[in-house]
Amino acid sequence: MDNSSIAVSPKKTFGKALLYTLPMFLVTFMFITGGKPDFSDPARTVAILVTFFGMNLLYFLMHYSGKTDRYRAIIFVIFALTLSFTLIRNMILIRNSMSFSQADILECKIPFCHLVIPMMILPAALTKSIIFPGTILGGFADIASMVVLWLAATVVLGRGFCSWGCFYGGWDDGFSRLRKKPLVKKISDSWKWMPFAVLLLVALTAALTMIPTYCNWICPFKAVTEFEKVTNVESAVKAGVFISLFGGLVVALPVVTRKRTQCSFLCPMGAISTLSNRITPFTMKIDTNACTQCFKCVDSCPMFALTREGIKEGTVSMFCSKCGKCMDSCSRNAIHFGIRGVPAGTRKNFSRNLFLFVSFLFMAVFSSQPIVFTLNSLYNLIF
Amino acid sequence: MNKIKTTAGITWAFLGLILMIILFPGLSGFSKSFGTLPFMKINPRYSGGEVAFTQSAGACTLAVHKPVFNGLVRDRNTGFVQVDWRGKIPDQIRDTIDYDNDNVPDFVIAVDTKKPASDCCPLSGRVTGLGISSRTSFGWAARINLRKTP
Amino acid sequence: MNEPTLAEKSLMTDSFILGLSSGSACLVTCGMVMFPYIMAGRGGVMKIVLDLSVFLATRLVIYFVLATLAWYFGQAFLTSGIVRTFVTGSLYVMFAIILIWYSIGRKKNMKCPAAIVTKVEDKRLVPVLLGVVNSIGFCPALLLILTKGAAQGSLAQSWLAFLAFFTGSSLWFLPLPFAGKLKKKQVIETIGIFATGLAGAIFIIKGLILITGGILNG
Repeated sequence: MDNSSIAVSPKKTFGKALLYTLPMFLVTFMFITGGKPDFSDPARTVAILVTFFGMNLLYFLMHYSGKTDRYRAIIFVIFALTLSFTLIRNMILIRNSMSFSQADILECKIPFCHLVIPMMILPAALTKSIIFPGTILGGFADIASMVVLWLAATVVLGRGFCSWGCFYGGWDDGFSRLRKKPLVKKISDSWKWMPFAVLLLVALTAALTMIPTYCNWICPFKAVTEFEKVTNVESAVKAGVFISLFGGLVVALPVVTRKRTQCSFLCPMGAISTLSNRITPFTMKIDTNACTQCFKCVDSCPMFALTREGIKEGTVSMFCSKCGKCMDSCSRNAIHFGIRGVPAGTRKNFSRNLFLFVSFLFMAVFSSQPIVFTLNSLYNLIF
Repeated sequence: MNKIKTTAGITWAFLGLILMIILFPGLSGFSKSFGTLPFMKINPRYSGGEVAFTQSAGACTLAVHKPVFNGLVRDRNTGFVQVDWRGKIPDQIRDTIDYDNDNVPDFVIAVDTKKPASDCCPLSGRVTGLGISSRTSFGWAARINLRKTP
Repeated sequence: MNEPTLAEKSLMTDSFILGLSSGSACLVTCGMVMFPYIMAGRGGVMKIVLDLSVFLATRLVIYFVLATLAWYFGQAFLTSGIVRTFVTGSLYVMFAIILIWYSIGRKKNMKCPAAIVTKVEDKRLVPVLLGVVNSIGFCPALLLILTKGAAQGSLAQSWLAFLAFFTGSSLWFLPLPFAGKLKKKQVIETIGIFATGLAGAIFIIKGLILITGGILNG
């Protein structure tokens, strides 16, 4: 039973946590195995079972311990690492190189990534075509499937996609956890508006040049996926930009600040997701009756979504990615997952349970393929 | 009013839950439907454009695409024409191409598929040089850079 | 014939982006000086539209003059390919660094050079004079577009570059009549500052590509 004024812990008893895990257990089994479990290949079987049980154990722990972020982050970081492993391994197996080939461009076989979406909107509207050398349907990461997945996740989770769905976010999320305390504490809040400037520029330049300019020039994750072969000065400078941005915004700054600086300062997708936070059913809310204004949540937030003024007013900004880190840092359960329209401080556990099911389900199924593939590969490597 | 907002919010949240549950099993169907939307086709600058005409020579078929000058709002001054060789391609290719079917040859393209190396000799003022040229899963493809006005 | 490099192609895109990012600087620095003069007096919406049109038309004319002068000086001094590459690349890098510094330091006591126009007695001349002062303010973005204009092979290309620059910078002035009603002015200003800085970064990269390419190609 939720009480608005008393700090109610989201922890559950062992039995209750197990009960809450059961639906996830059943649904993820169906989705990960595709409804037709095939255990003929021992390596793949082990990989699927480890993934399946591992995910459900983490979901159980979320309910049992009442903590969200620490268990979410485990899958989130593993997702990022395994996706890069999957992509790089496939590229080296097929092409013997991390760079995509001219044949891939000619045959439109480049896997699609959601970061292209901001750049395709204007050209799609004006030319009725997609400015990306990928496949519309069929194949790995085809455009239609990726857009549908992103659209659904954004409508339901809003900027929660950045903490529960994005297969790159785990990189800077992981690096931001390496140090216990930040070396750099004071960062200007204004920087969180930079992704909007990036969005404006990449959307316009992509439309004018008909090239996805963010992917072509400034995506830091090219350093850990695939990039253009270095054959001239221009491609060498591009490689330098990718590596510098990865080293700076994904590795170094998150380590020293304990913030997700790539996601907060550069990603144009983050800007769109921020705007989508206004329409999603799930939000973060502040129970001002329970809040003691200790501001631990402000310090812990990796996305610059919380400010002292906002906490005093009882508001969470639209930059929130619903990672749950603020909730984990709050001893009073004053900041909590909420549902739009439901007053803050009420139905805390109900809101959390519902949000966790929705977001975890998406993350578990979306991330399962690269995790299973990586475990399968490691199994084959070891045995 | 508060009760209406709460009910609406919880309803919206449950709709989100339903969407998330049907998303993955229904992904194939959703994608197919999404893929039929008018803008869901690859821009000719990437797909190479439609095939204008083909010529067969034994087991190898030469396909010449329509020239691509697509821009955002109107055609650009620079573009390309894609030429494919499909099927069993010979080690040495040398073709004189008239891409616009005006009975005037526009360029000669030579490909050594073994080396691999490609070369293009413009015969028309609108041909500016060789762009990408590469072996593909269907044979070989090359893009020759063009400009609209010589 | 070699494929043009990124630094050489996308003329319109670069110029438009530069204009877009510089326009935000112009608006923030000078907008609140120009706004009362464009909006002042009686005459209603038509008068405001007319004054804004005169202001923008003046800017366009000045830009075409500057485009012609830039191209002429480019033809006169950037004679060989190597000189053109090195000088253009170096100027890009230098002005881009100034542009970034300009965007960072913009909030610190930046005065609008157009403020002098407010002392003119005949108020009908104000939009014309504002247009003149605004377009020859020689902000870093203008210096970059002058460099670009000088590096172009033909006068038409130089004009096109300045036209794209003008279009990008003018977009920011169009909502000026509604400026008073904008709630998120501070946010838009912040985004504009970042856009200016990013445009600077683009030109640093372009400049480095030109210089490095020039060194490697001898």
